[in-house]
Amino acid sequence: MTSSTLRRFRHRRAPASSRQQISRAQRWKYRGASLLITAAILGFWELLPRTGLVSEIVLPPLHEVITALGLLLQQSTFYGHLAVTLREIMGGFLAGTIIGLVGGIGLAVWQPVKQVTYPYVVGFQAIPKIVFAPLFIAWFGYGEGSKVVMGIAIAFFPVLINTLVGLESVPTDSVKLMRSLRATSLQIFRKVSFPHALPLIFAGIKQALTYAVIGALVGEFVGASAGLGYLLDSYNYQLRIDYVFALIVVLAAIGAALYFIVEWLDNRLIYWREQ
Amino acid sequence: MIADKGTSAKATKTVVEAGRPLIEIQGVRKSYVTQEKTVKALAEVNLDIHAGEFMSFVGPSGCGKSTLLNIVAGLLDASEGTVLVGGEHLTKPRRDMGFMFQAPVLLPWRSVERNVMMPAEVFGLPQEEIRPKARRILTTVGLGDFLDALPSELSGGMQQRASLARVLTYEPRVLLMDEPFGALDEFTREAMNLELMRIAAETGITILFVTHNISEAVFLSHRVVVMSARPSRVAGVVEVPFEYPRTVDVMHDPQFTDLTFQIRQLLGESV
Repeated sequence: MTSSTLRRFRHRRAPASSRQQISRAQRWKYRGASLLITAAILGFWELLPRTGLVSEIVLPPLHEVITALGLLLQQSTFYGHLAVTLREIMGGFLAGTIIGLVGGIGLAVWQPVKQVTYPYVVGFQAIPKIVFAPLFIAWFGYGEGSKVVMGIAIAFFPVLINTLVGLESVPTDSVKLMRSLRATSLQIFRKVSFPHALPLIFAGIKQALTYAVIGALVGEFVGASAGLGYLLDSYNYQLRIDYVFALIVVLAAIGAALYFIVEWLDNRLIYWREQ
Repeated sequence: MIADKGTSAKATKTVVEAGRPLIEIQGVRKSYVTQEKTVKALAEVNLDIHAGEFMSFVGPSGCGKSTLLNIVAGLLDASEGTVLVGGEHLTKPRRDMGFMFQAPVLLPWRSVERNVMMPAEVFGLPQEEIRPKARRILTTVGLGDFLDALPSELSGGMQQRASLARVLTYEPRVLLMDEPFGALDEFTREAMNLELMRIAAETGITILFVTHNISEAVFLSHRVVVMSARPSRVAGVVEVPFEYPRTVDVMHDPQFTDLTFQIRQLLGESV
């Protein structure tokens, strides 16, 4: 029994080992330190504009941002914009993930297609996708569609690559075992290859989620008539920097919430992961 | 043909030299073609293995003993020659032959029990029918308390026991083992060997066992096939006359030492 498996074994049976308590105490120390940094930043934010060193227009003090956030959350139009952006993010994320998944499986299963198309896939990835934003708006309009397409364009790639790499890194012995049982290709895929690739696929999906948020916002910045990115851009134009910051806080919260949902799913689905 | 499963399972282990062998390896050669040249892995191999026999293959590493095992498993095609199992030409893996690797090859996301039930799942057998048997076999290999454990929670020896339980659950007539205990420590290996011998004696299963451990081969086998370095031939077949099943005491028998010496000499001549 290797020491690492032993440790994991004990972990399960006796969760309150002394080892873990030490690390827990340490964790609180780190948490305290990082909270301190947050407090310091927020303190500076409040005080710096008051000193007159930085104009209040450039950097409104913290309390004004909080006020702006409060007012923003009371506007009914805000929720309309929020819904638009959420739809765009989810659309780009879901469609991008499905395209990446299907594409990755297709390339892994069908080697000739991979040989022919893989250079194009990599080549496409080398292009900074933001250059397509004006084009997508010209093609798909000012509405939500062009933002979803933008999201897909950047979100599909990490899922595709991770699916492909995951499916191609299946241990040969596992496949050999299945062959010795005369398993069908579909059985090998379902029972061995796909579950084996799942942790990597999920890592790709997590990345796709962040990319879909970027896709939606970039699309809205370039040209839109609704959405949080559009709202942020218009407040910026009016020099309402307090509202700009309030919207940044909202967007950060959306990003964090979505990430934690996927992270939670990841931990539930991939329960066998080492460590 | 071989006796049907019902009787062979209960029959005591006696090697019947008369009658048709269970496995016939006839003129099997294997060469690999690389860009520059053709590498001969197996020069001709001819062997008969009888039902209920425990046969080991020893030889220097890279001598092609694993290649031969893979050919008998139907996982690899021979370049020339044929393998007959129960008189039938072998063209693909058979579900009455089980393969066991040096690594346990357990699926990390499946519990021990679900790993052991995997072959039955592949065969499309109903789970309720297999589960009691899987549990019984897991209990006999000492994993009765670990049905719901994940493979990562088990030691190397326990993982290999689970792997053995997996192959035993679907009751193959032939067990093909490619250095199955090679990665285990000496104590675990000895325990596993005794376990395997007990199972072999109880079930009458035919075992082809690849190893590079000479005393392990002598201890376990009815016959030991000594293979030469590449291109591999059969350098000699050594019969081990000790009564079956054996205890570790036979290892102290002078005849045991003679046999290992004899194998060593065959290996030495072939290099």
